[in-house]
Amino acid sequence: MGILKNRIRTFFGKPQNIILLIFGIMLTFSTVAPVVAIVKDTLQIHPGTIDQHLTGKASGYSIVNYIDLFTSKLAMSNLWKPLINTLFLAIFTCLISILYGGFFAFLVTRTNMKFKKYLSSIFIFPYIMPQWTLAVVWQNMFNSNAVLGTSDGLIASLTGVTFPKWWCQGLFPSAVVLGLHYAPFAYIMIGGIFKNMDANLEEAATILDTPKWKIMTMITLPMITPAILNTILLVFGSAMGSYPVPHYLGLTTLSTKYISLNSKYTGEASILAIIMMVFGIMILSLNQLSLKSRKNYTTVTGKSGQLSKINIGKAGKYVVGAVYIVMTFFTSIWPIMLFALETFLPNPGDYSFLYTHDFKNLTTKWWLTSENVTENGLYGQHGILYNPTIWHAFWGTLLLAFACAAIAGTIGTLIGYAVAKNRRSRWAAYVNNMAFLPYLMPSIAVGAAFFILFSNEHINLFNTYYILIIAGVIKYIPFASRASLNSMLQISNELEEAAIIQNASWVKRMVKIIIPIQKSSIISGFSLPFMTCLRELSLFLLLCTQGFILSTTLDYFDEMGLYAFSSAINLILIVTILVFNTLADKLTGSSLDNGIGG
Amino acid sequence: MKKRGLALAVVSAMLVATLGACGSGTTKTTGDSTAAQSQDSGSKQAANTEKSEVDNIIAQAQGMSLEELAKKAIEESNGKTFYGVGNSSRGKTALPLFISYLKTIDPNYNMEFEWQQPKNNKIFEQLSADSLKPSGTFAMTLIQDGNQIQTKMVDTNILKTFIPKDWAEANGVSADSYKGFLPLQTLNKVFMFNNTGDAKYTNCWDFVYEGSHPLFMDIDSELVGKNFLYMLTKEEYADKLKEAYDKLDATKKAYFDPVIAGEESDAKDLGLSENGKYALAWIKLWVENYTEETDDGPICNTLVDTSAKDQSGLLVYSKLRSVEESANVSVNNITVAAYQDDYTGIGGYGYNHYLFLTKNSPLPWTACAFIAYITCTEDGFSAWGKDMGGYSSNPKVMEATEAKYQHQKGGYNEAGEDQFPAKDDRGYDWWTKDGELVLEDPQYCADVSFTVGNWIEMLSKASDKN
Repeated sequence: MGILKNRIRTFFGKPQNIILLIFGIMLTFSTVAPVVAIVKDTLQIHPGTIDQHLTGKASGYSIVNYIDLFTSKLAMSNLWKPLINTLFLAIFTCLISILYGGFFAFLVTRTNMKFKKYLSSIFIFPYIMPQWTLAVVWQNMFNSNAVLGTSDGLIASLTGVTFPKWWCQGLFPSAVVLGLHYAPFAYIMIGGIFKNMDANLEEAATILDTPKWKIMTMITLPMITPAILNTILLVFGSAMGSYPVPHYLGLTTLSTKYISLNSKYTGEASILAIIMMVFGIMILSLNQLSLKSRKNYTTVTGKSGQLSKINIGKAGKYVVGAVYIVMTFFTSIWPIMLFALETFLPNPGDYSFLYTHDFKNLTTKWWLTSENVTENGLYGQHGILYNPTIWHAFWGTLLLAFACAAIAGTIGTLIGYAVAKNRRSRWAAYVNNMAFLPYLMPSIAVGAAFFILFSNEHINLFNTYYILIIAGVIKYIPFASRASLNSMLQISNELEEAAIIQNASWVKRMVKIIIPIQKSSIISGFSLPFMTCLRELSLFLLLCTQGFILSTTLDYFDEMGLYAFSSAINLILIVTILVFNTLADKLTGSSLDNGIGG
Repeated sequence: MKKRGLALAVVSAMLVATLGACGSGTTKTTGDSTAAQSQDSGSKQAANTEKSEVDNIIAQAQGMSLEELAKKAIEESNGKTFYGVGNSSRGKTALPLFISYLKTIDPNYNMEFEWQQPKNNKIFEQLSADSLKPSGTFAMTLIQDGNQIQTKMVDTNILKTFIPKDWAEANGVSADSYKGFLPLQTLNKVFMFNNTGDAKYTNCWDFVYEGSHPLFMDIDSELVGKNFLYMLTKEEYADKLKEAYDKLDATKKAYFDPVIAGEESDAKDLGLSENGKYALAWIKLWVENYTEETDDGPICNTLVDTSAKDQSGLLVYSKLRSVEESANVSVNNITVAAYQDDYTGIGGYGYNHYLFLTKNSPLPWTACAFIAYITCTEDGFSAWGKDMGGYSSNPKVMEATEAKYQHQKGGYNEAGEDQFPAKDDRGYDWWTKDGELVLEDPQYCADVSFTVGNWIEMLSKASDKN
């Protein structure tokens, strides 16, 4: 008995154990409940849908949805083709984002490329913007009447040049848009490691006259492997669950199929969600296998050395910087210019002033109309500055983003810390996986599951901030936990052990040692949920109506073809994020990007 | 370990089900047209339940005038919050008008309100979830898609129809004997084309002729579009398609003949009428060739642009209301197909916005009064009536609305010249007779949703080729 008591006392004497116990239990419920809800939904008979038709029953349970999805004549179009498209999309998105973002991270942190500060700030813009806005920009640029039967996009209008269909719709543009969107993500994750990496090993190799390519492949790349794997994990899951980009660019994926099947094949749509989850679990398992093979990834120790920069040449540092300035212009500045311009066009997509050179064709009606006058071309809406829907959604979004960032950031950071401290413990691995699992589930499915969970005879949270915050927190804990875990794994135990010898309390150790050392990663753990929340659509699409938050309002206006409103919302979002990023920079000395490039 | 257990549980569930599939040789699946007949019993049973409090209130309310209902509403909802949900955002505009009306009876009356407009078919899930509670959140709904309303909302007893006395009288029916849903208005989606090129669309078959890729909302996201296709297979509309086909020239007939012949056996299998094969051929060509858009808004934006030469589309007529003239964009760049003197065949599709109380409506009297107000008064309908292309189901309100807003001269300028003929809305009567509008029949749509519906889903949409 006494031994047990001592064991319990010892167990609870370690803060990391308490953290793991509390959050292990909490996350088990919050993660398993949506899974159970979706599995139940696949077996439930839904009135007015295929399962009722096939079973002849209006209620009860059946496995008919599984039978129909896997064996009916529609299996190819409802299951296999979307599945294949989804996998290709996720793989190509990972490739593009890691190559583009990872290489940029390398250039910023490990070379003497010029214009770093500017480029580092501008590079994250595509991640700030809702992902489908780049898809809309893509359409506005490349669509043509000759190829797609739509009105001409900007390039076709101005030059007469048309692009082939595969360029305008389908897998290629979807993967490029998503790849560009997630490249900043790879940049932040990989750049964080590059920045904090101990250069001793590379310097030792340089002293030993090891060729540069060998240093890169044998030392540098293995050191950043955890960051690459984490980026793959996060990007793969996100790309799989992305709804708006394939929706706008005409690619049938599991997510778009989920939405289109949901009305008539409700149970079968939920099976698609489970399939996406199974893939998520498989990726997580692969990650576990790779983690087991890793010996030690400590990169920050008490005796860290100076980071060396690779010299890319006198002209090279300017040329490479200039190339990236041009590239980021098209991925970051150009869309914003188009958004701003769109809000002054007389009709959505009507660039006629460019050919007529008559600037009188531009209008401020989309901003300044203060009454509801459909005759004025506003489709029953007030101007942006007077539009109660937009501003209500704006304040709602801020509330949601703050709440999610604060809660998910705190929980995730603590989990990351506790898991790093108990890295050999199975319970820690379990908590880590449970925290991460929601991220691998498709956002739409998580949203649907929470809708089902909180829509019953006892509680109905649809269209409330409660349900959005719950879903957002559960979904975004992985951002913080991964960022925190990555950074905590780099911290040698000897630092905290030294503080323990000095009788420093846990809070003091955290505040004075752990957090300051890994400030940029931890700030990322708060910033990423905040930013993601601001423009998240797939997760919240099914949980609230348009006008409740900005992303659903933006999507509503985009779908309606009212691009002036959606562009204005984009501008509002970008400005908001930049303001908060700058505030974070001024107040804490850390912002999303300058931890890496500043 | 637990993670593995969880993974195992999910995979096991799928495996068990898949194995079940292997063992259930006789189970019907999608595409098996014989499976269509089995759905009656369960759903119909649900409707035969005992009368609820809301049923009783509806029964009383159907005998009352608007003013009597208004007094009941004032009694019930003063100081409370009214929640409505609908496919149309205009409920939000109509509610303040309703409150103002109630204030004319009792100046001290006040009511807060919230109007929600869910997307992506979510309204059905939202109403289903709300119906589980003893007292619901939503007092009423304004909802479209007769097919899903029938199968998911009415057969399951979630929504209740209330027929206002004044509305019934205006339509020459009695509230008790009236069968069907209460429509607020009929909206029309009409065939239009960009006239800046040489293309001619003088027959509804021209929209599915070789090389034509009309713009249309995705039939999987805008389900009223799918209902339109279902309705074409109804005998009267299949006959209209046959009549239009007969007026085509030999070249065009030669193009369509193999497709029509190819659908003959499917039409028989699906139990369609003699001319059903014409409907199936038209639907097949439409589905396989239409250019998918997210909404009617982008379709309108495209069609009015000069660069969309010869392009066509089927879209909500009222979208033309907000086009602003510029060097590239003009309402005069489009022609409403059915307005051409030599046009033959169907001119578009008419579908309804229906009004219902929820079965657990927290404010049933107020919901009844609001429904009566917007269906029986010109002011109440003005939230919708000020725009072209929407026609009140109440003949008196329709007449008053037309007198006030003059939609038939919607394209006239202040000098009295017909500046934009496409905006001269010829009205409900013209559209349903001369315009040969295909009108939604919820019961028919529900009946064929798993026969014709599954057949449509087997077709390869143009967008599926990506």
